[in-house]
Amino acid sequence: MIVGKRLLGQAALGTILAGGAAFGQGARRLTVGVSWSNFQEERWRTDEAAIRATLTRAGAQYLSADAQANNTKQLADIEGLLTRGIGALIVLAQDARAIQPAIRRAQAEGIPVVGYDRLIEVGGVFYLTFDNIEVGRMQAREVLKLKPRGNYVLIKGSSADPNADFLAAGQREVLKPAIDAGAVRIVAEQYTDGWRPEVAQRNMEQILTAQNNNVDAVLAANDGTAGGAIAALAAQGLAGRVPVSGQDADHAALNRIALGTQTVSVWKDSRVLGARAAEIAVALAGGAAAAQVPGSAKWRSPGGVELDSILLTPVPIIRDNLGLVVEASWITRERLCRGVAAAEAPAACRG
Amino acid sequence: MNAALVTMRGIHKAFGGVAALDGAELDLNAGEVLGLLGHNGAGKSTLVKVLCGAYPAEAGEIRLDGAPVEIRNPRDARRLGIETIHQTLALADNLDAVANIFLGREIVKWGGALDIAAMEHAGRQVLARLNPHFTNYHVPVGSLSGGQRQVVAIARAIQFQARVLIMDEPTAALGPAETAMVGQLIRRLQSEGMGLIIVSHDLHDVFALCGRLTVMKNGRPVGHVRTEDVTQDEVLGMIIAGRMP
Amino acid sequence: MKAGLLRTLGIDPRLAALVATLGVIWLGLHALTDGAFLTPRNLWNLAAQTAVVGIMACGMVLVIVTRRIDLSVGSIAGCVGMVIAVLQVEMFAPGTWWNPWFTLAIGLAVGTAFGAAQGALNAVLGIPAFVVTLAGLLIFRGIAWLITSGRTVAPMDPTFQLLGGGFEGSIGGPASWAVGLVGVAALTGLRLAARRRQQGFGFTTRPLWAEAVTILLMAGFILGFVAVMNSYTRPRTDIVQGISIPVLVLIGVACALEWLARTRRFGRYVYAIGGNPEAARLAGVPSTRIIIGVFALMGFLAGLAGAVATARLNAGANSTGELAELSVIAAAVIGGTSLAGGSGTVVGAVLGALIMQSLDNGMVLLGLPSALRNVIIGVVLIVAVWADAVWRKRSGKAAEA
Repeated sequence: MIVGKRLLGQAALGTILAGGAAFGQGARRLTVGVSWSNFQEERWRTDEAAIRATLTRAGAQYLSADAQANNTKQLADIEGLLTRGIGALIVLAQDARAIQPAIRRAQAEGIPVVGYDRLIEVGGVFYLTFDNIEVGRMQAREVLKLKPRGNYVLIKGSSADPNADFLAAGQREVLKPAIDAGAVRIVAEQYTDGWRPEVAQRNMEQILTAQNNNVDAVLAANDGTAGGAIAALAAQGLAGRVPVSGQDADHAALNRIALGTQTVSVWKDSRVLGARAAEIAVALAGGAAAAQVPGSAKWRSPGGVELDSILLTPVPIIRDNLGLVVEASWITRERLCRGVAAAEAPAACRG
Repeated sequence: MNAALVTMRGIHKAFGGVAALDGAELDLNAGEVLGLLGHNGAGKSTLVKVLCGAYPAEAGEIRLDGAPVEIRNPRDARRLGIETIHQTLALADNLDAVANIFLGREIVKWGGALDIAAMEHAGRQVLARLNPHFTNYHVPVGSLSGGQRQVVAIARAIQFQARVLIMDEPTAALGPAETAMVGQLIRRLQSEGMGLIIVSHDLHDVFALCGRLTVMKNGRPVGHVRTEDVTQDEVLGMIIAGRMP
Repeated sequence: MKAGLLRTLGIDPRLAALVATLGVIWLGLHALTDGAFLTPRNLWNLAAQTAVVGIMACGMVLVIVTRRIDLSVGSIAGCVGMVIAVLQVEMFAPGTWWNPWFTLAIGLAVGTAFGAAQGALNAVLGIPAFVVTLAGLLIFRGIAWLITSGRTVAPMDPTFQLLGGGFEGSIGGPASWAVGLVGVAALTGLRLAARRRQQGFGFTTRPLWAEAVTILLMAGFILGFVAVMNSYTRPRTDIVQGISIPVLVLIGVACALEWLARTRRFGRYVYAIGGNPEAARLAGVPSTRIIIGVFALMGFLAGLAGAVATARLNAGANSTGELAELSVIAAAVIGGTSLAGGSGTVVGAVLGALIMQSLDNGMVLLGLPSALRNVIIGVVLIVAVWADAVWRKRSGKAAEA
C-alpha cells in the first residue's frame, strides 16, 4: 500500500514541480513557513528533513519556528512567519483551539494553511495526517490478536493533545465487540502528562498495584509511553508476557519488538508525511485549489467542520514484518537486532 | 620610644569615584583607648573597616608594632590580632551564640570535623565572663535581645587573644545598664594591654572612655588631641568646622 | 507540654510535624484505597518513586539555604541521563564489566561540571542564581536534545539497570537487615559519643530515659522501614527484595548531606552565608568557594538522579527530568526550608519529597486524572508553607518571652 501511495506521490510531485518552477520563474522565490509545536519531541526531525528535501527540489525555501510547547509563542511564531513573506504555512498545532486566531490571520492574508498531523478545525485549512483513529484501531487489533480476552489498560497520550483522544477512540472502536461480549474489560486508563515516559512508568506501576498485576494487555499511545509502561511491567517480571502497543516506530521500540517486549508499533513514515505536506504547500501557494490536490477528499471533523484532507495510511509493524523498516532504510539491521538472542530472533534478524 | 601599636598613614579609599578616605591617618598605642570622631560621611567607619580588612585600601601604609603589614581581607586582620565589633554586630542570626563566636575559626577535630563540644565549652566560658546570667546557648541569636546579641559580638571579639579591638558605635543601641557594662569591659581590656579604637558620635561616652581623640572630616584627619586637654565644645568645633582648638 | 517533651527528647518539632503529616496522609490514603496503599508492594514502589526527586532535594536544601535557587536540576538530570545512555549503548561496548561504572562516572563528572560552572557565574561574576540556572535549564535541556537529535536510546547495560531498582535491583533480605542494624548502631553510637563528650565538659546532659526513648524511636523507624522492604517479595517468587538500590542511594545521599551540614565547616558556612552573607564575609568565610561547592554538589546530585531515572526507565530519553526542579523545590520547601535562606534540613526535604510522592502515588491508585492530582498537590504545597510560616512566627515569639 505504501508503494502505491509513493507512485501517486511521485506523479503529483512532477505536476507540482512544474508549477513551482513556473512560480519561481517570474516572481520571488516561494518560501514555505513551518510552525512546529515542540520540535524537541523525538520524531519531528525526520519530518523536517523530508519537508526541506521536497521544498529544495521544488525550488522553494524553508523557514521554521519552534513554539516549545507554548501556545502563546506559537501565535507569535506564525505572525512572525507571515511578516517574513511566506507563500504557504504548515502548522503542527500545539493546541487545536488556541491556534485558531493565528490561522484566521494567515487566511485573511490569503496564505494557504496546511494542518500538519494534528487537527485544526478551521474551514479552509488543508488537513494532512496519518489517520490517527486508524492508528488506534491498528494498535488494538494487533494486541487483541494476542489477547482476545482479559483486562486491558489504556496508557493514553497527553490530555492537551487531540490526537490522544483520536487514538483512544480508535482503540475503543476495535475493542467494543469484545467488551460487549464480556471478553475484554478496560480496568484502568490514565492520560500521560506531556507524553512523558517517566510519567507513564509511574502511572503503570500504580495501575499494576491497584489491579494486583491482573493486567493482560496494555494499549500505550506511543513508543515513549510504551517504554515507560514496559519498564513498569519489567519490574514485575511481566515484560514479554503482556502485549503492549506503541506508535512512531522509534528505534528503541523496534528493538523492543525484536526482543519481544513490545507487540506493535504503528509506523507513520513521517518522511512521506513531510514530503506530502511540502508538495501540498507548494501546490496551494501556486494557486491550485485544495480539491485539485491529488488524493484529497472531503472529511468531516468531530466538530462538524468540513475539510479538504489527505489521511495517509499507517503501517503496523510487528515481529513478523520488521523487515519492512529495514528495507525502507528507517533503521539499520544492526540497531534493530541489538541484544536479540539468536534462538528467539524474529525473521528480520535471522540470516 | 616604643613604636605605636597601630600606625595608619596616607590611606586612600574611593567608592565609585567618591573619595571616602583621602590621606587618612591614625595612631594607636597599647593600653590606650582612642576615640575616632567625625560627622556622618567623615570616613571614620571606613577607616576602621580598612583596618579590619573589610575594605582593602587603595593606597597608604599600615604598621603594626612598627612593622608594615598588608590587610587585604578580614582573615588577614584577625591573624594580626585585630578584632572588630561592627555597628550591625555582623552576627549570623540563624546560628547560635557559640557558632557565631567561632565563625570562620572553628575548632576542628582530626579529619576536619567540627568539635562542637569543645567550642561550646570555650564559648560558655567567655560568655559567662561577660554575663554570668547568659544561658540561651542553643537559640539562634536572631531571637535574642539587643543586649544579649551585643554580648555575643563582644565575646567573639575577645575570645581570640586580640591586640587591637575596634568598636563601631558600641553603645548606640544600648540602655544605661548595658552601657555601664561595656564601659567596665573597655577599662578592663585596656588594663590588660589591649589597644582599643572606639568610633562614636556620642561625645559624652567618648569623653568618659577615651584617653585620646582623633577627629576626621571629609576623609582626612582634622587633628589628634588628648581628652584631658580639650572641652566637648572644642571637639564639636573640630568635628563640624574642622577647626583645631 | 508537648513542645517541652519534644525538646527533652531532642526531637526537632518541625520534623515531628512532618512525620505526623505523613502518617495522616498515609492512613487517609490507605482508607480511601480500600487497603491498597499501605501494602509492602506499594510502599516499596513509593520509596523507589521518591528516590529521584529525593536525591535532588537533599542538595537543593543547601542551595536554598544560601539564599539562592537552582532551576536547572531537571535539565542537568536529563542531559546526564542522555550522556550516560549514549556512551553506554552506542559509544562503548555494552556488556563489558567496566562500561556501567565508567559511563556513570563520566555522567557524574559532567553534572558536577555543569553545577560548578553555574556556581562560578553566580559567585564570581555576581549574576543572580535565578538567571544563571534559568539559562542552565534551557541550555542543558537543549544539549540533551542535541546529543541524539531527540532520539531515545535504549536498552541500558544490565548492571546499570540495577541502579533503577526494578525486578532485580534490590539488595535482598539479609543485606537490608544489615543496613538497618548498621544504621541503628551508628545513630546510637553517635548519640552516646556526643553524650560522653558533653559530660566530659561538664554540661548537663539529657536524662538517660530521654536518650533511651529517642534511640528506641529512631531504631523503630529504621527497623520498621527495613521490615516493610523485606516484606515485598519478587513477583511470583519467594525471594525477598529488601531495600531497592535507588532507595539505598537516596539514604546514602541523605546521610552524607546531613553529615556535611552538621559536622563540617562547609555546612556551617553554608548556613552562615544564608543567615547573613555580610557577617560571613567579615568573619573570613570563603564564600566564593562555598557557593561554587554548593552548586557543584547540586549538579552532582542532579546527575546522579538523572542516572537513576535513566536506569529506572531503562532508556535515555531527552525528556527525563522535565519539570523536576519544581517538585524538588517544593519538596525542600514543604520540608521546612525557607526561601528567605538560612534554615532548612536535609531530612525535612526527604520527608517533603515523600509527602508529595505519597499523594501522587495514592491518587493514581484511586484513578484520579492527572489534572486533578496537580491541583491537589499545589494546594498541599501552599498549606505546608503557610503552616511553616505560622510555626516560625509562633516559635519566634516564644523565644523572646
